[in-house]
Amino acid sequence: MSKTASVPVSKVEEGQLGSESSFRLLVQSVKDYAIIMLDPEGNVASWNEGAQKFKGYRAEEIVGKNFSIFYTPEDIASGKPAQELKIAADQGRFEDEGWRVRKDGSKFWANVTITALRDPDGSLRGFGKVTRDLTERKLVEEALKQKAGNEAISRRAQEILDISTPVVQVWEGVVLAPLIGSLDSQRTQQLMEKLLEAIVETRSSVALVDITGVPAVDTATGRHLVETMSAVRLLGANVILTGVRPAIAQTLVHLGVDLAGVTTRASLSAGLRTAMEILSLQIVSDK
Amino acid sequence: MSDQRIAVIKLRDLLMVTMPSDPDDPTITALQDQVLQAMERYNPKGLVLDISAVESLDSFFARTIVETARMVALMGGQTVIAGMHPSVAITATQLGFTLGNVLTALDVDRALEILASPPQMKVRR
Repeated sequence: MSKTASVPVSKVEEGQLGSESSFRLLVQSVKDYAIIMLDPEGNVASWNEGAQKFKGYRAEEIVGKNFSIFYTPEDIASGKPAQELKIAADQGRFEDEGWRVRKDGSKFWANVTITALRDPDGSLRGFGKVTRDLTERKLVEEALKQKAGNEAISRRAQEILDISTPVVQVWEGVVLAPLIGSLDSQRTQQLMEKLLEAIVETRSSVALVDITGVPAVDTATGRHLVETMSAVRLLGANVILTGVRPAIAQTLVHLGVDLAGVTTRASLSAGLRTAMEILSLQIVSDK
Repeated sequence: MSDQRIAVIKLRDLLMVTMPSDPDDPTITALQDQVLQAMERYNPKGLVLDISAVESLDSFFARTIVETARMVALMGGQTVIAGMHPSVAITATQLGFTLGNVLTALDVDRALEILASPPQMKVRR
């Protein structure tokens, strides 16, 4: 470290601090902050224990090198280091938070304050740079954000799941589950729970499961449908699969999906008619 | 071993059994014997098995019920299982539990309706 004074010290301050060497000891020894000095071009002029702790370099290795070495490749490419010095020179100081790079290449999240150091006549002597390592705080923030993000996503997913499996009572004793979209195991679970609860609540004896809105059926979907219908039958209700379009009928047969014991109808209205028959109800015209 | 003895009640021309919420295996096995003996003694049309108090199903319970229904059928009776909880129904289907020719009803009232009249409210093809 150079023997000349690093920072202009007023007589009052000198009296307060006792001596320059005490002051130097103060700056040198602080481990929680990197307190370093840069020359007007940004080369490292002084180093302290905190700087060694955060950035990994020993004083001998780093004095004389340019401080841009602490920045990430992206920041160096965009000219960030030089820009920060310029702002500090123009406005007196510059403060920033961002990733910095240690000697071993690892990154840490830093809070950095760069202060322009001027002689009494106003000429730029260099810069003082104080850095705090906030990596831990940053990591906790990121973890919380991610957790909140994940929670928001799963809340949204649950909402979608809830909307997409409605079960409605279409007549006394008849409930309808109109399916829209594909039927994965999670939706099947959701559907089964909602449908069975609805049957118990409404004391229904017929359940219509309508697949008009299901674009395609594969073996897994077929299995899920059969599972759902078996569960309904365990509650003593009749279950009718409605909305079996030509393409679906073809797929189900080609796939060999076993729908034995399952009542099916091509359209929802046909299913409703069958439900009425099961309940021995008739719709009579007034004409 | 708990001292649960499940009552098998004769109700007109039917047998009625109300399952407790968590019967142990010996109780379930004893029940099968009781049911079959009642079948012989009263020669009823059928059996209503009320499981509305049962909240979870294990495979031993499920198997024994299906077996009992088959035995009851061999002795000339029709079994109706009444009041299955939705959660039990879901578990049963996921376990691949098939009831065969055992009928099911939403509650005991419906079960009696089914057994009283000739079957009309069954699934049509």
